Amino acid sequence: MNLSAEARKVLESSMRMNKVSDAERAEIERVVESMPDDRVLLYKNVVSNPIGDLPRYDIHIRLQHMLTFVTFLTLAFTGLPIAFLDHFWATPLNNLVGGVDVSRIIHRTLASVMVFSMIYHIIYLFWLVLRDIMRGRFVLQRTLIPTLKDVRDFKLDMLYHAGKRDQRPEMDKFMYKQKIHYFAAAFGNLVMVVSGSSFLFPEFWATILPVGYASYFQEMMRLSHPHEALLALLVIAFWHWYNVHLAPGRFPMQWTFLTGKITREHQIEEHFLEYLRNLVEIKSEREYLLDMEDARELSGVYEDKFIDEKMAVNKSEP
Amino acid sequence: MEYRKLKIYLQILVLMSVSHGAAYAFEDDEGCLLCHKYPKMGRITEEGARRSYYVMPHVFGSTVHRNVPCKDCHSYIKELPHREVKNGVTCDSECHSIKNPATGKNFSHKSIYEKYEKSAHGREKIAKGHDQDKPYCVTCHTNPIYNPKEDQGPPPRITQRCVICHEDEKFVTNWYKHTSRRINEVKRSPKEVMELCTSCHGDKRLIERHMKAAEKEGRELGDKYAFAAESYQQSFHGKVVKYGFTKAASCLDCHADNDNYYMNVHDIRPSRDPASSVHKDNVTKTCQRCHTRADEKYAQLDPHPTPVTEEENNNFRYYSNLIYGWIGDVVLVLLIGLAAFETIGRRRDGVGWHLRKGSTWWRKSKRGRDRVK
Repeated sequence: MNLSAEARKVLESSMRMNKVSDAERAEIERVVESMPDDRVLLYKNVVSNPIGDLPRYDIHIRLQHMLTFVTFLTLAFTGLPIAFLDHFWATPLNNLVGGVDVSRIIHRTLASVMVFSMIYHIIYLFWLVLRDIMRGRFVLQRTLIPTLKDVRDFKLDMLYHAGKRDQRPEMDKFMYKQKIHYFAAAFGNLVMVVSGSSFLFPEFWATILPVGYASYFQEMMRLSHPHEALLALLVIAFWHWYNVHLAPGRFPMQWTFLTGKITREHQIEEHFLEYLRNLVEIKSEREYLLDMEDARELSGVYEDKFIDEKMAVNKSEP
Repeated sequence: MEYRKLKIYLQILVLMSVSHGAAYAFEDDEGCLLCHKYPKMGRITEEGARRSYYVMPHVFGSTVHRNVPCKDCHSYIKELPHREVKNGVTCDSECHSIKNPATGKNFSHKSIYEKYEKSAHGREKIAKGHDQDKPYCVTCHTNPIYNPKEDQGPPPRITQRCVICHEDEKFVTNWYKHTSRRINEVKRSPKEVMELCTSCHGDKRLIERHMKAAEKEGRELGDKYAFAAESYQQSFHGKVVKYGFTKAASCLDCHADNDNYYMNVHDIRPSRDPASSVHKDNVTKTCQRCHTRADEKYAQLDPHPTPVTEEENNNFRYYSNLIYGWIGDVVLVLLIGLAAFETIGRRRDGVGWHLRKGSTWWRKSKRGRDRVK
């Protein structure tokens, strides 16, 4: 496979960072060379373990996700019946946890766990970035920070889904959808924490805000809390759960949030640049890919060329 | 004719003799029940309202006023059968039969009545004009609230001890009921207060009528008068109170002075009155009753945010709400649209919702590039 300039750059920088030996470099080049040009053929033919093949999230990230989503769902469960108590469905839900007097205590307790998870996440991210910079392995494109490439990826992906293009774009560890979702969730979390704290500590907010604005702020926050909660819940129910559970190819669920691993086919399809890094970092993955291509006769492309090269190397040796 | 009249008199006589001897909880020494015990006793007033003059002896006998002779309150009645009643009972009258056990003076509600008269709610018993919309004592205080729970007798483990010295079991029982009732239900719950105040302040027609009268007379009304109940119910306090939370501020927690709650709830004044607890000079102190860290800045927060029912009422909230709603709708439509679009694209690529050995790439792709068999 002839790598695009972008993919080539990612591969080179990964090999440099991992300080691969010349032998390994040749092996990696051989694997890359062997991949069929049509990436669709590649990801349709690999065998994936549904619970995941390649590393993606470490235990801290999984723990933070777990803390956030469990508290979020229970917060929504105790909070929405308070916000919409006039509605017929709210009273039984509220009574289920013992009425407003109880559910608001549960709500605040869970909220503090969610705030803890947020702080844990922020500190952990800082530490990750610091660690990677110290080790000289920090790559901006591999993080969640949005770049111009994401706009391009979005456009190309839309063209692919519309049938105007035959390949999905080569996306990095985090694709455009994940970046949108991450920042939406982060912003939503911040809104919920600030507005929630304005109910719990109105005196504090009134003290630090200018006199003319404190009342407007309170009104704004009282609107924000249920609006944002409902929006977050609907986005998660309709979009996040679609993406990780219901989308064809992901159904019935991705195990990544539990195992921290992503399936091979998913990695190649949506995170090809990250897959290239996996090829550099994981020897067994290179072996697997070569075997698979041999077995399925997808490797015809590389053989002649590789033999020529090998002979050329042999020739120049003496 | 004479015979029929006689027959009626005889019937009444028989009825009276049959009902004679029925035991009432209070002593009918004044003979009022002679007539007022008949359930159908009543009339239709000139305005067409039905009035019942029936006194249910077993009910009145268990009210807080059961020991007060009728004539102590109905003092205008001099002879029986009595003349037409013009004003009825006012609550500032003095009991001549009941002494205040603390002072030995005649018992009366005068002290509270005088507070009430000067408050924003004060009115005459027979009011004229817009005063008719104000509450009189009985608007808020109906007897049942203070009825002792007759079915629940006092626990013997307590009264048996009292009876040893106080000897009279009836006295002990009454004393127990009197005190325990007042300890149990010291004041109305915030929810009850809200319902009570809202019964007038949430009545749109009453508010409108009163505002028109005030305009005519050139009287000033509070900024929040038009939507006091509605805005409270939408406020943080009102919302949690409505949902049964018992510690949030009710109307009276802010609008009545806190020194002696029971006295001062009768002395509610408009916010423009310097004596009012919600006057701008006193409001910080009022907030501090619950929000101990509140300062002047905190007191500026609006506890009665204008309702958003109409655009011109509260532009800020109206448009914030509108924009929030639109953002939510647009985001959802876009994201669901994206998901649907993606599904179409991925299905064209040959992936469906099939489950086989952890891989879903089994359907034939419309794009032609299929898994190698």
